[in-house]
Order: sequence, then structure tokens, then C-alpha cells
Amino acid sequence: MDALKGNLLKAVGIAKKDAKIYFFKGPNITFGLLFPAIIYLAFSVGRTAEISMVIPGLVAMSSLFGAGAIESIALPLERAKGTFDRLLAAPISLTTIIVGKALGGFSFGIFLSIAYMIIALLLPGATIANPFLFAFGIVLSALTFSALGVCISAPFGDVPQAMPPATLIRVAMVFLGGVFIPIATMPSSLQLVAHILPVTYAVDILQQATTGQIVAIALITDIVALILFSVIFFAVAVALIKKTLH
Amino acid sequence: MNAIIKTQNLTKQYGDILAVNNLDLEVFEGEIFGLLGPNGAGKTTTIRMLTGQTKPTSGTITVDSYDIVHEPIKAKQQIGVVPDVSNIYDEMSAWDNLTFAAQLYGVSKVEREKRAKELLELFGLSERRKDRVAGFSRGMKRRLTIAAALIHKPKLLFLDEPTTGLDVQSLRMIRSLIKELNSDGVTVFLTTHYIEEADQLCQRVAIINKGRIVTVDSPEKLKASTERRQLIEISFTASRGLEDKLKGLSCVNEVSMLGDKCRLQVDEASEAVPALVDFARKNSLKIVSINTLKPSLEDAFVKLTGLSPEIMKTEKEPVKKKEE
Repeated sequence: MDALKGNLLKAVGIAKKDAKIYFFKGPNITFGLLFPAIIYLAFSVGRTAEISMVIPGLVAMSSLFGAGAIESIALPLERAKGTFDRLLAAPISLTTIIVGKALGGFSFGIFLSIAYMIIALLLPGATIANPFLFAFGIVLSALTFSALGVCISAPFGDVPQAMPPATLIRVAMVFLGGVFIPIATMPSSLQLVAHILPVTYAVDILQQATTGQIVAIALITDIVALILFSVIFFAVAVALIKKTLH
Repeated sequence: MNAIIKTQNLTKQYGDILAVNNLDLEVFEGEIFGLLGPNGAGKTTTIRMLTGQTKPTSGTITVDSYDIVHEPIKAKQQIGVVPDVSNIYDEMSAWDNLTFAAQLYGVSKVEREKRAKELLELFGLSERRKDRVAGFSRGMKRRLTIAAALIHKPKLLFLDEPTTGLDVQSLRMIRSLIKELNSDGVTVFLTTHYIEEADQLCQRVAIINKGRIVTVDSPEKLKASTERRQLIEISFTASRGLEDKLKGLSCVNEVSMLGDKCRLQVDEASEAVPALVDFARKNSLKIVSINTLKPSLEDAFVKLTGLSPEIMKTEKEPVKKKEE
């Protein structure tokens, strides 16, 4: 129990350090706040979108870019600078280090999601029917996307190497994961792709919370899928980093 | 003596490259042990394996009786690591760097603040404690990196090329700190490509080349084993035509001229000196200076590795290399 507490404290220490030096920086907050809004505006000009679609889409996107984008820079940057070796030389398991790294992105994802939720609620006619479920959706989304960020960046030892795949994956997810276009209206082949993307389940859980129209089986699927994605991304990240180290 | 580090058949292979080859080492508690070798000899790979940052391909390592591969957490708790490139966080202050390092080692909040204060004082960084490290000089960053490695009071300190690229003042300060730490009971394992540094600091030195240990001994024993013959450097009031005359002395084996000095290789200096005094008198010369020269650690290194000492003066490339 003491060992678990000790590991958790070390992971929180890493997360706090990451939050301070990588995430909660003026330019990153500005990027995290503006980027989803710009993408959304660029896509929705000339279209009419239901407010119940806008809020989940924006919040999911802010979490995806907030928790994931900086996360996929923080790890390669730390490896390139050699500061990751400081963590490796300390009496901490690689799993604890990765938990700490993911927690940093998780906290930033939560922060941006809440910021977007507040902004979205200021829009005329905006309401969230089930705030508790919405909060739960934010937590699960941030968890999944921070694990995704670590996973994408795990094989890379420098930022320029990590950025192209990280950006490509996230942008593809935004367009295929139901953020802008309802999945039901997509061609069947793209619907299949949408079902293997975590963002699909994040948008769905947030939509159910926003509208209050909860379908139990769909909700359970969303929760299980997001937890599974988190675990898989995390395990793959640890395995990839281990491989690059030895 | 109790071995704090013990390796057996330690080997590391990267693809076709054999970085470290069957290394057997014992480092004893309380000593300053140096791993001396040129860049690319396998020093950094060895230190990365000893500190649990890279797994060996084969062989075993025990650090303070813990197997670093199977009990890495316990082993790492006993050690402090200073890598070849300072790896503190530029974006954080000196104080935050130290308290963060302490957190990684599970040091309590009260203790970590006390230690951070002590170490900043010891390393002459107290006045800059709140400043971001990005603005620090190379020497200051090096000092802070060493301070961070000492935050949890380790028994054993690993230093990879601790003084490479430093100005003379920082270099002297760090060498004197290493001695001070050792006299306080910390075992020091350092790698260096500065022969003079190994000679000045280390109680025992292992010479490594192409991933293999060539020899392990104290610097003085290494020097003594290198050359049984002795050297005398002598200068007379005149030097023209002396070379042939000196060669005629029975106690002199070889003569070489270095400017106005003659370097003589002799079997026994104590017999040669009276003969040289007699030689000067007979040739109506006065002795300006006379010195007996012992073989240096550099001589030992050259003899044991067959490498030029110049290769040791080559600095590492400025770009950080993970492995040698």
C-alpha cells in the first residue's frame, strides 16, 4: 500500500512538473482554446448545426487537441533534451513515469474541456441535460486522449519526428469521428472506420449527456470502449518506450 | 573490501555493434573509481547499464547487492546519476529542479526543502535559486545536475564525463567537490577521457577500449608497470655536440634532444646522476637544471591501448548522443 502511495505521489510529481513546463503555458492555452474553435468555424460556415451537436463536438475536440497534442510533444521533447533519462535513472518504474506523463495531459484536457463547456453554455439556447454524465464524459475523454498522445509519441525521440503522425491522426479523427458529420450520415465504409476511433465514443457520450436522450446500451458501449482504448493506448505506449530504450 | 558494484560478463550489443564486451568489474565502497577511455570506447553504455537506464544484452550487475535488472527500484534508490550532458529542466528554477528530483526519490517535503537549501549553498547557487536554469552557464548547470543527483544522499554517485567542456574555474570546483564528497563517504564512479583527471581524482582506474577492459589498477601502479626504465631531463650551459658524448656514457641507454635539454633514458637514476655530474665537470660544463621524470598515466594508457593520447583530447560532439 505504501509502495502504491509512493508511486502515485511520484506520478503526480511528474504530472505537476509537466503541467507547469509544457501544458499550462500561455501559447499552449491559446492554441488549445482557439484551434478547435477555428476548425469548427471553418467547417460549419454556411451550415446549420444543432447546438446539441456543437457542444459535444467542441468539447471532444478541445480534449483531443488539449490532452493529446501537447502530450505528443512533451514526451519526444523530454527525450531529445535528455531530461527523460533523469526520470529513467530515478527509482520509478516505467509504468509510473508514463502514468505521470499521461496525467499531465489529462489535467490539461480537463481544463480545456471545462473552458469550452463554459464558453459553449454561453451560446443562446445551450443547455446540458445531464451535467454529471457530461463531467464523466469529459474525464473519460481526457483520459483516453492523453493515453493516445503518449502512445503516438512513444516511438519518437524528437518533436519533428512525432508531430506529423500525431497531427494526421488527430485531424483524421476529428473528421471521421462524428465531430462535424453525424456518423449515421456517413458512407458505410467510413462508419466502420468511425467505430474504431475513440473520438466517436467521446462525442457520443457527451451528446447523450447534452441532450439527455440516454440509450443504455450505447452509453455502456461508449464507457467500455473509452476505458478499453485508454488501457490499450497506455499498454502500447509502455511497450514502445521499453523497446526504444533497450 | 566490500564491492558496491560488481559486474560479470557484462555485454551490450546494438545490432552488429558490440558496445561493451564481457566486462568484469568490482568497485569498492568508499573509493573513487575511474573508467578511462576514448570517445566511443563504451563508457557511457557501461554507465547506462550500471544505472539501470539500459538493459545489458547479457551478464549481471549488482549495485549495493541489488541486481539492477531484477530489483531496479531498490538499486536506483542507492545511487545518484550525473549524465554526460546536464539534464536538468531549463524551464524550471534551480530550487524547483532540486525539489522535483527529491520527489522522484521519495524524499519527504520537509527533508527535500532542507536538502535543497543545503545543496544550493554547497554548490554556490543559493543566490540564483529562483532563477530559471535556462539562463545558467554550463558550469552552473553542471553543478546543479550534481546537486540534483545528491538530493537523496546516495551511497554511490555515478558521474559521466563530469568536467567535459567546462571552464577552468568550474572544472576545479567540481573536482574538489568530488574529493569532498568522497571524503564524506560517497563512493564515486566516474568516466572520463581526461587522463589527468583520472590521475588526480581516482584511487583506481579501469582503462576501457573498444568495449573491453584493458586493465584495472591504481594510477601509480599503472605508471610503475609501464616503464621500468627511468628518464632524466638535464640542461647544461652548452648543448651543441652533447648528444653523441652522452650516448657514450655506460649508464645512458638513449638520448634525445628537446631544445636545450637532453632527455636521457637510464636504468637507474640514482647511478646516472653522479655520472652526469662527473660528465659535466670533465667537459667544463655547468648543470643548469636536472629532473628525473616518472612515466605518466598517459604513458601507461598509450602502452596499454596502443592509442595516441591525442585521441583522448577529442571532445564529444555537441549533439547529445544516447549511446557511445
